[in-house]
Amino acid sequence: MTAPAPAVTTAAAFRATVQRDLLIAVRRRHGALNPFMFFLITAALFPVAVTPEPARLAEIAAGALWISALLAAMLSMDGLFRADYEDGSLEQLLLSPHPLYFLVLAKHLSHWLVSGLPLVLASPLIAAMLSLPAEARLPLLLGLALGTPALSLLGGIGAALTVGLGSRGLLLTVITLPLCLPVLIAGTLTVQQTLQGAPLAAYLSVLGAILLAALCLAPLASAAALRLSSG
Amino acid sequence: MWQWLSKTGLPKLGSPRWFYRLSSGWLPWLAAGLGLLLTLGLVWALLFVPPDYQQGETIRIMYIHVPFAAISLMFFPLMAAAGMVTLVWGVKLADIAAKAAAPLGVWFTGLALASGSIWGSDIWGAWWVWDGRLTSMLFQLFLLVGVVSLRSALGDGPAAAKSCALLSIVGCINVVVIKYSVEWWNTLHQPASRLSMSSDAPNGPEIWLPLLVMTAAVYLLFALCLILAMRNEILLREGRAQWVQDLGVQDPGVQ
Repeated sequence: MTAPAPAVTTAAAFRATVQRDLLIAVRRRHGALNPFMFFLITAALFPVAVTPEPARLAEIAAGALWISALLAAMLSMDGLFRADYEDGSLEQLLLSPHPLYFLVLAKHLSHWLVSGLPLVLASPLIAAMLSLPAEARLPLLLGLALGTPALSLLGGIGAALTVGLGSRGLLLTVITLPLCLPVLIAGTLTVQQTLQGAPLAAYLSVLGAILLAALCLAPLASAAALRLSSG
Repeated sequence: MWQWLSKTGLPKLGSPRWFYRLSSGWLPWLAAGLGLLLTLGLVWALLFVPPDYQQGETIRIMYIHVPFAAISLMFFPLMAAAGMVTLVWGVKLADIAAKAAAPLGVWFTGLALASGSIWGSDIWGAWWVWDGRLTSMLFQLFLLVGVVSLRSALGDGPAAAKSCALLSIVGCINVVVIKYSVEWWNTLHQPASRLSMSSDAPNGPEIWLPLLVMTAAVYLLFALCLILAMRNEILLREGRAQWVQDLGVQDPGVQ
């Protein structure tokens, strides 16, 4: 028995998934901004908790911003599949004849556009507030642009594994935070080493390599995990 | 492939009942070997190994620390291999082994970190240093805790088995990446004091032979703990099967 040819191409299904998720995000404006606000508030806590003195603040600024971005990405991951799982549309994605890899990728893309991109774009401003030297702001921005999608892809595995468990945000972070360590190391090194005169491309290429590896492998794991948790 | 495997009788290895029967015979030998090697190794290492010319008596901690650290590196490959078998063939016993191994991994990794910390407090003058090896071991501990907590959240069943298998495989890849990235991070920043394990220099057989005995003893300890935990898990899972009920008649400890 051969499967009937799908009426829509996979590319069309990919576009449709992205459009639908973006539309949902636009209609529910309040929820979509939460990761961004979380990032802002966490970053603002560091000067209060550590030191308001500019020279010492500059030393921890890159790490503080990366940790805030990491936490924001992880906490927003819980919502990646949850709503779709609850209203049953995730089941439709699983039943569709298209490779789940691309549909998971589409969900990641729309999720990152809503929750990751604003954070990346705002990072130079917050870096300035944390007195990060001006020449380090571009490495930070580019590093976050490559790093946050990778964080999102890694977090997606945990989100897919825990989607059937009800509200388990803490379990998701316990599982996925240790996975993110290499991204954090490469990201903070990009800023610190560029400040010390290393070429920008050297460290960014490591982040890019991690992102490419995550793009190839993580959606496969997430797709397999989705089939298990909702099967 | 599968037909060929069936002829060899290997698939029987995956049957919990078969494993339970067979492992009953292994336990006394394992326990005896463990007792012998542990006594030999400890007495040798604690009483007869000459004190180090720099570290003095403290060097004896090495005979606990190194075996535990060595065995800790094996947990993720082991769990990932068991996970592959679970995902591909759905062998029950592989998942039972993976489930039993994860908490043991937490214990063994924790003991490696603790013994290293005690050693470091004397030699380095600090209980904890953010050295590459220590950091990657710490994150391996976190990943193992993640596998254990995912298992406890998902409960039992084939879906939980496969989910944990998937996380073990992802974790295994990640442990390797973490190990290299952390060493890269560390060597760029703080060349920390490293413990040289080179056996070419003055470290003759009187140093490393007891270490070998202790390593074998710790491996036996792990094998014994794993098999006991697996037997427990088999009884819990197969509690309703007739052969377990029959066991219950013989042994009042098994309900």
